[in-house]
Amino acid sequence: MKQAKKTMIGILMILMLVLGFAACKGKESGKIELTVLNYFDMTVANASDEITVIWDQFEKDNPDIKLVREDLFNEPFHNKTESYAASGQMPDVIYAWPSGRSTTLHSQRLLKDLGPLVQKDNLAPLYTPVALDPSQQASGYMGILPQSMTATNAFFVNLEVLRDCGLEPAKTYTELKAQVPILKAKGYETILMANEDTWVMQSCLFSLVAGRFCGEGWEQKILSGQAKFTDPDFVAALNFIKTLYDDGIINRTTITTGYGDVVGLFATNKGAYYIDGDWRVGAFITDKSTGQALISPDKQKDIRITVFPEIDIPGVKLNRSNSVVLGVGWGMSASIPAGSAKEEAAWKLIKWLVGKDVLAWRVQTGGVPSPSRTDIDMGSLNLEPMQVAIANLGKEYDKATVVIDGAFDGPVYTPLNDGLQAIGMGSQTPQQVAAITQAAFDAWKASQ
Amino acid sequence: MAARLENRNVSFVVKFCIYAVMLAFTALAVYPIFWLIIQSFKTTQEYLTTSKLAFPRNWFTGNYPYSWRMGKFGTLLMNSVFYSVTTVLAVVILSLMAGFAFAKLKFRITPLLHGLFIIGILITLQSIMIPLFLMVNAAKLYNTRLGVLIPYIGLGLPMGVYLCTEFVKSIPNELIESGRLDGAGYMRIFSGIVFPMCAPVAVTLGILTFTGTWNEFILINILTSSDAIKSIPVGVARFSGALASDYGKQFSALVIGLVPILIFYAIFRKQITRGVAAGAVKG
Repeated sequence: MKQAKKTMIGILMILMLVLGFAACKGKESGKIELTVLNYFDMTVANASDEITVIWDQFEKDNPDIKLVREDLFNEPFHNKTESYAASGQMPDVIYAWPSGRSTTLHSQRLLKDLGPLVQKDNLAPLYTPVALDPSQQASGYMGILPQSMTATNAFFVNLEVLRDCGLEPAKTYTELKAQVPILKAKGYETILMANEDTWVMQSCLFSLVAGRFCGEGWEQKILSGQAKFTDPDFVAALNFIKTLYDDGIINRTTITTGYGDVVGLFATNKGAYYIDGDWRVGAFITDKSTGQALISPDKQKDIRITVFPEIDIPGVKLNRSNSVVLGVGWGMSASIPAGSAKEEAAWKLIKWLVGKDVLAWRVQTGGVPSPSRTDIDMGSLNLEPMQVAIANLGKEYDKATVVIDGAFDGPVYTPLNDGLQAIGMGSQTPQQVAAITQAAFDAWKASQ
Repeated sequence: MAARLENRNVSFVVKFCIYAVMLAFTALAVYPIFWLIIQSFKTTQEYLTTSKLAFPRNWFTGNYPYSWRMGKFGTLLMNSVFYSVTTVLAVVILSLMAGFAFAKLKFRITPLLHGLFIIGILITLQSIMIPLFLMVNAAKLYNTRLGVLIPYIGLGLPMGVYLCTEFVKSIPNELIESGRLDGAGYMRIFSGIVFPMCAPVAVTLGILTFTGTWNEFILINILTSSDAIKSIPVGVARFSGALASDYGKQFSALVIGLVPILIFYAIFRKQITRGVAAGAVKG
C-alpha cells in the first residue's frame, strides 16, 4: 500500500515539474523579434536552399532582427491563417495571396496598406505596374507586395510527339481539332489535363476561354449587375468546353487524372499538348537533391510553351489573350504601429523577400516563373530551356483577362468548378451550369 | 482465431474460406504500407515515369536524410514522445481519481458532475478549435508546451473518466469499506486499494490516449508556431498534400512518421486490441 502511494506521489511530482517546464518560453532581448508565417513546400525542387539563401542570409545581414519563422504548407497553412485571423493576432509578416484563399486577411483589413511604404521608398519603377495596382487585391489596397505575376494558362507543346505524327503546333482551334484523329492513330492524347481536381479546368483553361468569349472586364459587368452568367457569351464559353470534350480534344478520362500524375504523362510523351499554369514548370526542371529532371534540359528544347490557340469560331471577342492574376506575396500585420521600429524591420524583411536577389534565386529554382520585379536580367540567370520559355510566355499574348477564382468568391466559383466537371461528364448542360452559377452569385450578392 | 478454428470440427472448405478472407483483409491492410515504403526509395522522376506498382530500378536512399533534415524530425520526435507520455500520465491518474470519486463517493451532485465530464465525448475538436485558440492566446500560453498539454489532457479526460468510472464500479465496495475500517482516508484508499487494482483499465486508457496524442494534428498546428515545440504529424504534413511536388520526399516523410507508431503497435499489440475492444464495449 505504501509502495503504491509513493509511486503515485512520485508520478504527480514529475508531472508538476514537467508542466512547469512546459510553461517556460524563452525570449532573446535586445533584438527586434518578427514572427513570420511562411508557405513552404519542402518537396519542391531545390527547396532545401531556401533556409540558407533567404532566411539565414537576412538574419546575417540584419543582426538586430530576430526572425521567428513558422513554415507550413497546403491546408495546414490556410487553417493556421484562418486561426490567426479569427484571433486578430496576426504574425508580423505573412505570406498571402492577393485574394482567393487569403480573402479573409484582406476583407477584415488585417494587412497593413503597403502603398505608403512603397511610395516612401520609391519602389514603383522596380515593379511591373500591375503588381502595385491596389485594385488587383481583394481589399482594394496594397495588402501584399506580390512576388510574381501568374499566367494560369500555359499551353505546353511537345514537338517530339508532333514530329512523330508529321504535325506542326496547332495555331487555331480548327487545326487542333484536325490533329485529333492523327494523334489518336499513333496512340497519343491530344491535350493532357488533370481534371480530377475541379479548380484546374476553371483556373487553367476556362478563365482564358471566358475572357475570349466575354471580352475584357467581363467580370466587372457581372459584379456590377450589367451582365449575368446566363448571358449568351458566357454560355458560349461553357459550350466551348463541352465542344472540346465532344471533339475528343480533351479526353473525358482526364476527369480521373490527378494533378500530381499529369506531369509524368506529359514527360513520357503520352500527349502532344498539356495545359496547366505557368507555375508547373518547376515540376520539370532539375532537382538539385537528386540531380534528376522530369524532362532533361536536352529534351526540354523540344517543349514549346505558349497560350491556348486562337479560337476561330463565331462569338469569340478576342484572341491572343491569357488569364492572369497577381501572384502570391508578402504582407505585414495591420496591428504593427506606423513609424515603429517593428514596422521598419518588417518592411525591411518584405523588401528583401520581394527584392531582386531573392526573386532572381526563386526564378532560377523554378519557384517563381514570372517575377514582379522588372530589374532582373533573365539572360544572366542560369535557366533551363523550359524556364526560359515560361519567362517569355508574356510575349505570346497581348491581352490579360481575369482568373475566375481571383475575381469571385468561393461560393460563386465553387459551383462553376463543379459544373465544368459535370459538363465533361455529360451530366449537366452549359445552360444548367450557367444558371447554377448565376443562382450562386445572386445568393452571394444578397449575403454581402 | 486460428487456434479456435483448429479446435473446432469445421470442414476444409469453411476453413479455406475463412483463411482466404483473413488473408485478403491482411493484404488490404498491409499492402499500402508496403507500397509506401517501396515507393519512398524512388526519385519522384522515376515514380512519375514508371509503373506505380514497380520496384525501384535504383534504390534511392537520398529521400530519407533530406526529409529528416528538412522536416526536423529529430526535434519533432522528441516532442511527440514528450506530449504523448505526459498526456498519458496525466489523463490516466486524473481519470482514475475522478473515476474513483464518481463510482464510490455518492453525493447528490455526483451524477451531474459525471454527466458534465461524459458530455465531452460528444464534442468534436473542430467545433472548439477557434475558441480554444483564443483562450490559449488570452492565457498567454500560445506557442508553449503547456498550452498544448492542457487541451490534450482536457480532451482525453471525458473518455478516460467514463472508462475508469465503469471499471472502479466493478471493484467490490467491501474492499473500500475494509480500508475505511482500518482508518484509511480517501487518498490512502485510492492509492493503496483502488489504484493498484485498476492496472487493466489504466493500460487500456494509456494506449488509447497515447495513440490519440501521437497522431493529433489539428491542435498542435493551431496552438504552436515554433518548430521547437511541434510534433511529428506537423512534420509529415509539411511534405504531403495534393500540391506537393515530390513524391519521393513525401513518401519518405510519411514512412518516418509511421515507423514509431508501428514499433509501438508491435510492442503493445495485445493491449491495443484489448483497449480497442474495451473502448468499443464501453463506448
